[in-house]
Amino acid sequence: MKFLSLAIKDLKELVRDRKGLFFILVFPIFFMLVFGFAFGGMGQSNTPYKLAIVNHDSSVNIPMTGESVNFGKNLTQILEEAQYENSDVHLFNVTKVSESQAEELLKTRNIDVALIIPDNFSESVLALINHTILSATNPLVASGSTTPEITSTLIIRGDTGFMNFGVSQGILVGILAKYQDEIVTQTQNEVRATPGAQPKEFLKSKVEPIEGTQNFTSFDFIAPGMIVFAIIFLATTVAANFTREVESGTLTRLKLTRMKGFDILFGGLIPWSLVVVFQVIILLAVAIAIGFHWQGGVNSILLAILVGVIGGIASIALGMIISAFVQNVGQAGNLGTLITVPASFLVGAFFPLPDVEIFGVPFNAFLPWTHTLDALRALLTYGGGWNEIAYSVGVSVFLTVILFAIGVVLFTKNRLKAES
Amino acid sequence: MDNMVDYIIETQDISRDFNGFRAVDGLSLQIKKGEVFGFLGPNGAGKTTAINMMVGLLKPTSGRVIIQGQDMDKFDKASIGVCPQELVLWEHLTCQESLKLIGDMYEVPKDVLKLRVDQLLEDLFLTDKANTLVKNLSGGMKRRLNLAMAVVHRPEIVVMDEPSEGLDPQSRQVLWKYILSLRDEGKTVILTTHLMDEADRLSDRVAIIDHGKLLKLDTPDNLKKEIGGGDIVEVTLSDASLNSKVIEKIKGKENVFSILEVDGIINLRALNAMGKLPQIIGDIEETGARMVDLSMRQNTLEDVFIDLTGTSLRE
Repeated sequence: MKFLSLAIKDLKELVRDRKGLFFILVFPIFFMLVFGFAFGGMGQSNTPYKLAIVNHDSSVNIPMTGESVNFGKNLTQILEEAQYENSDVHLFNVTKVSESQAEELLKTRNIDVALIIPDNFSESVLALINHTILSATNPLVASGSTTPEITSTLIIRGDTGFMNFGVSQGILVGILAKYQDEIVTQTQNEVRATPGAQPKEFLKSKVEPIEGTQNFTSFDFIAPGMIVFAIIFLATTVAANFTREVESGTLTRLKLTRMKGFDILFGGLIPWSLVVVFQVIILLAVAIAIGFHWQGGVNSILLAILVGVIGGIASIALGMIISAFVQNVGQAGNLGTLITVPASFLVGAFFPLPDVEIFGVPFNAFLPWTHTLDALRALLTYGGGWNEIAYSVGVSVFLTVILFAIGVVLFTKNRLKAES
Repeated sequence: MDNMVDYIIETQDISRDFNGFRAVDGLSLQIKKGEVFGFLGPNGAGKTTAINMMVGLLKPTSGRVIIQGQDMDKFDKASIGVCPQELVLWEHLTCQESLKLIGDMYEVPKDVLKLRVDQLLEDLFLTDKANTLVKNLSGGMKRRLNLAMAVVHRPEIVVMDEPSEGLDPQSRQVLWKYILSLRDEGKTVILTTHLMDEADRLSDRVAIIDHGKLLKLDTPDNLKKEIGGGDIVEVTLSDASLNSKVIEKIKGKENVFSILEVDGIINLRALNAMGKLPQIIGDIEETGARMVDLSMRQNTLEDVFIDLTGTSLRE
């Protein structure tokens, strides 16, 4: 039972190196807090986008009433008051700025989007109203009318590579189209003296969240991915730790004994698995503390810990493979990062990747963490139970065993044989 | 077959290259069972590389190593214990835990191991520190533990790479005494050192090695005899550029066996050097050189090395 002696030795070293242990356990706390803030956690269900409005619009006089109206201001007010569906959270945090200020704010990403209202905006809205009145009162005349068609162009400006801009520009386009429709409808109603009448709707849409996720925040959806990212990242720590054994020469001392590759790696796996248990518990605890919503109650959390630990053991195996190739702790850190960060993207921890298949199977299905993530989402986001995750857990365990076996073979070949 | 029994380790023309640099060059040795075998040579001579090949850590580029009649890949690892030059210890384990771990790795039965660990701690004056974490030990204590970890499984062959490196005189005495006790138990000890004194006092046979090649192999006494009798006189001149002039003047004189310049100092071996001193001093003065230092001593293994290589043992 040489692996047991090595497991005890590793455990003692882990526990007695207080500083090292502190960093290992603090990492998941820090990690989850940072991502919690970054993805708008902290209990808020929807996040207002930051909109800067540059209003160049000149007011116009309404001929019928003689009233001076600035439709740019009117649009600004509508945007300020717009709210998410079935929510009291505003769609935008609006600031009114000059064009140069908007430019600066965009570059520093202090705003997500800028809307520039041209000086002829009110003029074009008035033209639209006139045209609508004419159409409503005498359609034949309207078709051949000489009423000027004044078109104004609202500019939605932003960084097209910025996700928040993508979302907020979509919302803005929708609101602007609705604004135009509302003007037309309202004018028609006034002309026909049928105040409040709305055109008959044949097509309707309704926002409906997945069952049970009504109160979920973006953080709730991304948290399983973040947990998987933190778990994969453990491979770097494990690789560094095993490489320290190489660097200090203690592995050479062990190499001279009757110890086999399996003994040192399985011996190392045991205490590091305990570390994984703590890390997964801490990750979930911190996530919950900062407002993580999940489905399925305590049962889901317990199963999530099990799933996370299996993923963590796969990371330990990956760390062992990394340590078979590097010469020092620095290299272990670099190679570890080089592998774990892309691996996190590949398994879809941050966002889904395009489907690329190998022999008819999605390429990331060969990575155990893909199944860890599937299982965590099934449990925490969609409230599934053991039946829903059994397949993912099974595949994850199978791939982890393969990864560990590869680790044993490579470590033995590269570290425990006489140097060529 | 007798040959196999007599020699516990045999190297047959082993060489080792590192990126075009030949660290060990055609080394052929036969180490007898139960002897203390010393590898003497300066740092970088190839001693550690040779030893790493002999214990199975490094594959020779060419040649063959035979241990107890077995090829390298077949011998029982428990038959060798290696004490590396560097301190190779787990800082967060105690002395006792470290020894027990290594014992477990060699599959020493638990009850036997406990007794052995206690005995080793006592022999190497570490009993008081049995439960002290390695990181809290002094340098000398760490060195002794480093050695204890090499012998806890009672190997037939104990390899020590520069065991005195960094030891205080007290710890060195403990170490030397322990090495001799291993020989008394019939163990074979292979020792690398660049310290003449250590090689001279501990080794039954000494292999002098430099630039990866075996220069000479014999007992320390035979080696010293081989370069002949006589005493060594070392002369330092105020102007080292006159060394060659002085050497030319004295070379070939009666009973002067050798004279050469080593690290700026004139090294002269002569019979009855004491009686010859006035004449030597006279010869030096005749060349116009001025002496700033003169010393006389019996020859040592270092002088053997100087005789073989023309240079001193460099650090």
